[in-house]
Amino acid sequence: MSLKAPPVRRSRGGLARLGPLPWIAPVVLLIAVVVVWPVIELVRTSFLNISIAGIVRGPAGTDKYKKLFDETDFSHVILWTALWTVVVVGVTMVVSLGLAQLFNQRFPGRRITRWALIAPWAASVLMTAIGFKWMLNQTAGVLNTALIDLGIIDKSKDWLGSAGTAWPWMMFVAVFVSLPFTTYTLLAGLQTIPADVYEAARIDGAGSWQTYRGITLPLLRPAFLVGVVINLINVFNSFPIIWAMTQGGPGSDTATTTVFMYKLKETDIGESAAMSVVNFLMVVVLVLIFLKVSRWNEED
Amino acid sequence: MNKRAAAAGAAVLAMALGVTACGGDSGDSGDKNTIKLVAADYGDKKSNASKIYWDAVAKDFEKKHKDIKVDVQVINWNDIDKQVKTMIQSGNVPDLLQTGGYADKVADDLLYKADDVLSPKTKKNLIPSFAKAGEVDGTQYGIPWVSSSRVLFYNKKVFKKAGIKNPPKTWDELADAAKKIKDSKAADTPYALPLGPEEAQGETMMWELGNGGGYTDSSGKYTIDSKKNVETFKWLQDKLVKPGLTYSNPATTDRKTAFADFAAGKVGMLNGHPSLVQMAKDGKVDYGVTSIPGKEGPLKSTLGVADWMMAFKDGGKQKQIKTFLDFVYSKKMLKFDEMYNFPPVTQDALKTMQSNGKHDDLKPFFDELQNAKFYPLGDPSWDVVSAEIKKTGGKAAKEDPKKVLGDLQKKAEEAAANK
Repeated sequence: MSLKAPPVRRSRGGLARLGPLPWIAPVVLLIAVVVVWPVIELVRTSFLNISIAGIVRGPAGTDKYKKLFDETDFSHVILWTALWTVVVVGVTMVVSLGLAQLFNQRFPGRRITRWALIAPWAASVLMTAIGFKWMLNQTAGVLNTALIDLGIIDKSKDWLGSAGTAWPWMMFVAVFVSLPFTTYTLLAGLQTIPADVYEAARIDGAGSWQTYRGITLPLLRPAFLVGVVINLINVFNSFPIIWAMTQGGPGSDTATTTVFMYKLKETDIGESAAMSVVNFLMVVVLVLIFLKVSRWNEED
Repeated sequence: MNKRAAAAGAAVLAMALGVTACGGDSGDSGDKNTIKLVAADYGDKKSNASKIYWDAVAKDFEKKHKDIKVDVQVINWNDIDKQVKTMIQSGNVPDLLQTGGYADKVADDLLYKADDVLSPKTKKNLIPSFAKAGEVDGTQYGIPWVSSSRVLFYNKKVFKKAGIKNPPKTWDELADAAKKIKDSKAADTPYALPLGPEEAQGETMMWELGNGGGYTDSSGKYTIDSKKNVETFKWLQDKLVKPGLTYSNPATTDRKTAFADFAAGKVGMLNGHPSLVQMAKDGKVDYGVTSIPGKEGPLKSTLGVADWMMAFKDGGKQKQIKTFLDFVYSKKMLKFDEMYNFPPVTQDALKTMQSNGKHDDLKPFFDELQNAKFYPLGDPSWDVVSAEIKKTGGKAAKEDPKKVLGDLQKKAEEAAANK
């Protein structure tokens, strides 16, 4: 009887023949419309000559890419983007490891402090950045006032006015807003480590540092990797912090590739699209590295 | 069951498509008798928003010309260029646009000539120097809307405290006065030099004019990195920035910061335009004005700035636009200038404002208007060049001016070749 079943099914209505398609079609279409189509448009735009008034004047070949790579600031922007990403993600991960460990302990008020940690995450990144911008303001900023009152500096400083002081502050803010997510990821990881493993280690006479390196860190690796990769992509693409605090200025001295792309838009949309394509490729590379690393994680 | 699920799927799909379809251009205004006007907002609070002015104009106009409707859209200065760009790209072109620049649109052949949309009477009423600044290769496209010129504002109280008797006439006198202000601690910022992205191209030109320089030579070729311009920035660097007589990072300080600081009494002197008059009054700053100092003496012709009205060919509403512009320029011009205390661009409005005694605070600006110098507005590549100067020009006050200006010159030449 069971052998006869397939022909019966085939004779049913047309919809069934489509299998799961009717159910996933909306999603597929949505992806096609909001993801695939913009990417195609983006690439197409990067090969077009568009006037500043917004009129398409014809194909530009690879001119816009050449113009982009010829920009005086280009290498500088790439270098700082790499540095920005590595420093922010690195510091975030290290600090989050400590914080997660702390929040994994039992102490009075733990619930409240855990809630407090969410605050920078719950607040809009743009709002946080604008808040810091004003705190750092030369004439009205609370930081300058405090530092002068404490006698640490004798003249108020324009912290965000030059790249030398603006970068560290923006990195600080980026770490600040990345901490909650990362800490919670690691905290979740910590809580999956079974207590008996620690008990065994204690019975074997392992010290706390030994336990941490030999047990906690290796078992935390999946959560750690997720944290690293998501932060990498987030921080690399981070736009609001830099835009709100310095707009990438002076010139493009404090711009990452994302901010640089936005600034190029004012003078040449084609070149800006070329920068976006380069950005897109870099993100693809990051994702590929992630896939590779996560597979390595499974094999291990 | 299957049918219902399919229907639900279809509904979701329709919704998704509906949401994305919102991005497309909505409603082609095929109606020949509706003029779509896009204008910039000059107001700084709700009570003086430009929307109020334009709505009143549209109402009065529609009362008189029952067959023509005016659809007003007012956009703030930060967004107007971007939004207009989007409108043009999506084929949703306005019929009239009032904003900061026009020549880039001429390059793409989007605009009516001024002759096509202004009656001879209206055109003759425009102040000639402004009408001329609206020309591209000898044909006028840009129709001036409002104007302003720049003068040096100084805080009288600060000058008195620092023991400065006369406002500076030359660069050396200015540096000297700034030093006195610093030494006597009369103001936080002796001279405010805003070279940030907001208006770097303005402050730059005011200083370059003082040394006989500027953005272009007499033939209209860009000379951004000329010897004189490099010299100008070298002077700024050595005499103002390094000795701490101005902001420590001019390249990231915007004009609005400088104006606000002046209105708060924290600045000794700065170059300003008419809207600083009201700000200073509101801040109860006792200010004086004088011609902008040049290297050897005060500028004979200061920087003049104009904003523009332009008419797009796309909708083919030449007749309707002409009727509207004639109405606005003859009947409603003065009202706008008085609303914002701007020097006018038409001769009859200028005459009224000079004689009715209500605008004595604008007198120094009227005087300077007659022989003001403009940006190379009629050059279709100017909009790109101006944007580049806004972005990086200010760095010339701290880094090697030759390199910064040289880089800009290269970009300007590229843009000029590409127009």
